[in-house]
Amino acid sequence: MLSIRLFFIALILVIFTISCGNNGETDTDVQALTGQTASGEQTSRERRMGLIGAGATFPAPLITAMADEYRDITNGRVTLNYQSIGSGGGIRQFIEQTVMFGMTEAFLSDEVMANIEDQTGGTAFNMPITLADVVPTYNLPGIDKGLVFSGEVLVEIYLGRITRWNDPKIAELNPDMDLPNRQITVVHRSDGSGTTNVWTSFLTRVSDEWRERVGFATSVNWPTGIGGNGNEGVAGAVINTPGAIGYNSLTYAILNNMSYGSVINQSGNIIEPSYEATSEAANIDLPEDTRVLFTNTPAEYGYPIAGFAWMLVYENLDQNRAIQTERQARELIRFLLWTITDGQELSELLGFARLPQAAIERNYAMIEQLKWNGREIGREILEEEQIL
Amino acid sequence: MKNLRYRQYRDRLMEMLLVAATIIVLVPLLIIIVHVVVNGFSALNWEFFTEELGSPSRALQERPTGLVHTIIGTVVVDFLALAIAVPVGIGAGIMLSEYPEHMLNPTLRVMNDTLNGMPAILKGLFAFVLIVKPMGTFSGISGAVALAFVMLPIIARTTESALLSIPWTIREAGLAIGLPRWRVVLSTVIPAAKTGLVTGILIAFARAAGEAAPLLFTSFGNNYLPNHWSGFILEPVDTLPQRLYSLAISPYAEWHAMGWAAAILLLGFVILCFTAARLATRKRFKT
Repeated sequence: MLSIRLFFIALILVIFTISCGNNGETDTDVQALTGQTASGEQTSRERRMGLIGAGATFPAPLITAMADEYRDITNGRVTLNYQSIGSGGGIRQFIEQTVMFGMTEAFLSDEVMANIEDQTGGTAFNMPITLADVVPTYNLPGIDKGLVFSGEVLVEIYLGRITRWNDPKIAELNPDMDLPNRQITVVHRSDGSGTTNVWTSFLTRVSDEWRERVGFATSVNWPTGIGGNGNEGVAGAVINTPGAIGYNSLTYAILNNMSYGSVINQSGNIIEPSYEATSEAANIDLPEDTRVLFTNTPAEYGYPIAGFAWMLVYENLDQNRAIQTERQARELIRFLLWTITDGQELSELLGFARLPQAAIERNYAMIEQLKWNGREIGREILEEEQIL
Repeated sequence: MKNLRYRQYRDRLMEMLLVAATIIVLVPLLIIIVHVVVNGFSALNWEFFTEELGSPSRALQERPTGLVHTIIGTVVVDFLALAIAVPVGIGAGIMLSEYPEHMLNPTLRVMNDTLNGMPAILKGLFAFVLIVKPMGTFSGISGAVALAFVMLPIIARTTESALLSIPWTIREAGLAIGLPRWRVVLSTVIPAAKTGLVTGILIAFARAAGEAAPLLFTSFGNNYLPNHWSGFILEPVDTLPQRLYSLAISPYAEWHAMGWAAAILLLGFVILCFTAARLATRKRFKT
């Protein structure tokens, strides 16, 4: 009997604390609001704020490191919670309005953009935050590095036409290599992924046949090969299968000591994957909304299999149900601005390519248009920071 | 004689088969436990229990990083779920066992079994639609609701069988002295079935504590402690099973080690629950 009574006491306590929690929340909210109107002389605890974002797995190390750093430099004022749930998940939750921003390696389609415009009365911005590069990874005992691929060869391998490593077409690109007479095992992603989007868009651009038969998307109908779930699934299959070829982001390949090849770009140069070569690839004429794929880049020394990772935000921030106060919206914009400027300093350390200047300029133009209830708070913040 | 010896041999053979079956059940469990402990023990240090996770660069640069927010978050979400599931689950159990003639019962029984067999991720989806969407943000409370749906059918089922195991004569004794039916249930049947109820609750708790799927789109995850402690309920919260998953699929060896350590914690937590359940039932046979 005693334990039952104890249990009910515990239950009542829990319910009590929940309701207290509610009160506490509204209190701080009220204080935060009044604090803001009274010129911001409140203690730091009440000014603390959480931002929520979710999406692509690839830029997660960079974004979370930025979150750490930003929390430090704002003395704990802004804590960003970023969860990597994949590009598809990021877009989904952005549309569901459960996150303040989404992250994706595949930009929003025209259809989605039109829907958002209908619903929120404003557009959605795709703001490039960093660059994604996808490298061909392989497992050939004896050949740890330095294999050279061309777009045509990769297409033929992924169409299942080149099936052995000593195929003359591969040998022609690698005259100094002693290529084994070994079967090629093709590995691809089985889940929807921004990495697949970048990879297939490269294959699509170098081959008409690939465009007609397969095309490009976050997941496609693969003509051949075995599937792996996530970057780690592809990496696992490649590492454990001699003769396998797959594709991974460069950072992932480096961190897991995988062999990866160089790729010949449109200008005919052999480009070894590097962060500089990736940044160089984005050095092209960007459209205003930055919704562009620059795989098979025309840049002379650019790495050809690269793309942006975009942050998704609503033009009318007040229309996003995840953002409740103007103060949150302003902090979000400040964070955004920081990620494309000072935040980029973290890139090399973590294995990411820096944004090219052209992309930063485009971002400024988009931030300028961000609004809260019609008020141009994006412009105000840019003016405060003396960027305009 | 031959017949007797044959029977003895057959008996020995059956016994050996049963022992073999037991070993087959136990060995994988032992292998898992040993493997988890061996892999995760090195990452279990003081910082693991006192620091926030932050970004992977913390682990790569050997700055302090840990799972304090995850541990607290798990406790908060799990107990919140328990607080939601226990009253409802026990109520449903009482209904099934004490009011067998009620017209809702056949439906309730089928629904309860359906709920029990339903994939956990659907329960998460339900909590997403019910709470996350209207609130506009992921939250600990939505995770708790999703987990409560995992616990509910188990609690209802175990409550029902615990109450049914109490002889009808006890109820008759209560009714004979003029107690109303609800008073008989509360004051005589439930105390008599107490250990059975506690066992059921602990089993449900341990089962829900290991679920990651219903939390993915409800409690969502967090790399930090919330700014205000109410954030454990109203904001995204980290929980062990889900953090374990995301640590495991990350590309960093340091995070893999932390994932193993998180697995030790979770495993210890679950084993503790089941041991407690075991002890609670054992007491019944003593008295």
